[in-house]
Amino acid sequence: MSTKRFKTSFMKDVSKTLRQNIRDWGMYIALLTIMAIFTITTKGVFISSRNIGNLIDQTGYIAVLAVGMTLVIVIRDIDLSVGFLAGFLGAVAAISMVSWHLPVYASIPVVLGLGVLAGLLTGFLVAQMKIPAFVATLAGWLGYRGALQLATMSRGTIIIPSDAFNAIGNGYIPDIPGIGILPGVHKLTLILGVVAIALFIISAINNRRKMRAYDSKVLAMHLFIIELVFVSALVGAITWVLAGYRGLSWTGVVVLIVVIFYNFVMSRTVLGRHIYAVGGNPEAAELSGISVKKVTYVVFASMGLLAALSGILFASRFKSATTTAGTLFELDAIAAAFVGGASPSGGVGKVTGSIVGAFVMMSLTSGMNLMGIDISYQYIVKALVLAGAVIFDIAARNRARE
Amino acid sequence: MSETTPIIEMQNIKKNFGGVQALQGVDLVLHHNEVLGLVGDNAAGKSTLMKILSGAYIPDEGEIFIEGKKAHIANPWNARQQGIEMVYQDLALADNLDVAANVFMGREAASVKLGPISIMDEHYMGQETQRLLNRLKIDISSVRLKVESLSGGQRQAVAIARATAFNNKVTIMDEPTAALSVAAIDKVLDLVRELKAQGSSIIIISHRLEDIYKVSDRMMVLRHGRKVCDTPVAGNIDDFRERVVAYIVGARDDFAEGVGKQQ
Ligand SMILES: Nc1ncnc2c1ncn2[C@@H]1O[C@H](COP(=O)(O)OP(=O)(O)OP(=O)(O)O)[C@@H](O)[C@H]1O
Ligand SMILES: [Mg+2]
Repeated sequence: MSTKRFKTSFMKDVSKTLRQNIRDWGMYIALLTIMAIFTITTKGVFISSRNIGNLIDQTGYIAVLAVGMTLVIVIRDIDLSVGFLAGFLGAVAAISMVSWHLPVYASIPVVLGLGVLAGLLTGFLVAQMKIPAFVATLAGWLGYRGALQLATMSRGTIIIPSDAFNAIGNGYIPDIPGIGILPGVHKLTLILGVVAIALFIISAINNRRKMRAYDSKVLAMHLFIIELVFVSALVGAITWVLAGYRGLSWTGVVVLIVVIFYNFVMSRTVLGRHIYAVGGNPEAAELSGISVKKVTYVVFASMGLLAALSGILFASRFKSATTTAGTLFELDAIAAAFVGGASPSGGVGKVTGSIVGAFVMMSLTSGMNLMGIDISYQYIVKALVLAGAVIFDIAARNRARE
Repeated sequence: MSETTPIIEMQNIKKNFGGVQALQGVDLVLHHNEVLGLVGDNAAGKSTLMKILSGAYIPDEGEIFIEGKKAHIANPWNARQQGIEMVYQDLALADNLDVAANVFMGREAASVKLGPISIMDEHYMGQETQRLLNRLKIDISSVRLKVESLSGGQRQAVAIARATAFNNKVTIMDEPTAALSVAAIDKVLDLVRELKAQGSSIIIISHRLEDIYKVSDRMMVLRHGRKVCDTPVAGNIDDFRERVVAYIVGARDDFAEGVGKQQ
């Protein structure tokens, strides 16, 4: 009798929490479902360490753009220029090493700095000149495309000779030598994964304890434990799969740093709060003393920085700069953000969501490629996923409002 | 600073929007610990005058003195720093944020500052918000609820909580009782009395003259961007209402500058 009552109240808690956070949880469930389907249809090839490792490296340059695009979409803007900006800055990186003979450690900061400048220019057009972001960045799309073609005109493709630079897109973190146990498994990756899980659990428990002091509505204990187990299992599984091949790639490290940093800024800092406030109600934000202009500048500057990073990751992965580098990156990044739960009407969107969105889209590509599905069908499937995600969003939001 | 120096003095404020002369040289005085009622027909210029005081608009002409000193209010941040808070007519809340985030919007509490990056002290803000809601006897089950899920009265309460959270000197309320139930209106009026008891000075805009009558010490009428009446709130409510309505609709226009200053 009492266990039965416990069960019904438990199910009620679960369904209530699921309903309230359906978008967050739905994303992870969707990604896991997609991965499970491809694992079955490809007889395990999809989930192999090698394929997952590649998947992460292929997603990297879109993922960092999607992170920046999330912020842009949160403040109700859009940035169409970042694809060719990434391509152009990748070419600048190549030229700086090949023609100007800059060492890698000088070339990368220069390119990142140029990215920030380009972002500030967009910010100036949008915040100062009040040009709608769509138009301002469409101009950027044209301009950077031209600049990319100019930069690569003389040689077509610029081969990058620097091994250090090319390692960013192709290399892996070193392993700890001389450990006998678990041969063939990347120990440092494993250790990092375990540390990450431990840190996550400690901070979650800490946070929950403090929150109880003033908020009676903290997650019920059993749900909290489910959440801990779910996230830990997910991180653990990814770690295990990666450790089975060559470990964590440098691209993976870059993406992780970007995600952790941006997630921290957006959820824990005053700046992040101001970005959400501006997205939720710009007039209210301004009236409460937040400078919408300043926030707009910061968001576009960060977008420029991440476009530069994306360009570096892409150039490094292909060890070269090409005339078409960056083509359609911006649309992939925008799609990732929307699949990841960002709202076109602004104020809503998480960095982690966009990353998951990027992996959903790239998993579809990778899985369907492995299955030998024609590219035309791939586009149609992705169209359905994008439309489905947004329809799901709108339905969930309407239900929450009732 | 003597007790007779007004806490706020606005002189000859003018404001045009394109061809519309919203304010045509308005004076306003608010004394220490006084509740001033501001009334007038739609489009009389009430919100515009108050938005100038709160830094949302810059006047075309005119000067503002705070405690006798000439003040420069170039934006809402300036006004808030000088102790002026306003509850806007449309509430100015961010629906995507929770109650605590809205109360602290624009002045988030930071626990650590690393250059341009300040880490928010969420726990402090949550506790403070809870304390504030309790003090104002506002019934909202959690400070972590998103504002979009609140009722009209609760949203109003959040906006008021924000304006009164920071021990400000002057609180401006633009139609705080619009769209509220009778019980909720009484709560807001109690709150105004409570704030006065705590030493605040308040300007309250309302179309409900009985609200103004109940809580205000003095009342000022705007009509077509001009001050047409400035009088202590006294006498019985029916006489009061009759007299004020005459000024609001323009049936009487015999206001002599100086009546308000006799107080
Ligand atoms: N931002 C603006 N742009 C253009 N005109 C404005 C603006 N704000 C106010 N006005 C005009 O100024 C005049 C005064 O408006 P205001 O909002 O101050 O009136 P009010 O007394 O608050 O009216 P209500 O009781 O309807 O709130 C109106 O004619 C209005 O149309
Ligand atoms: Mg008004």
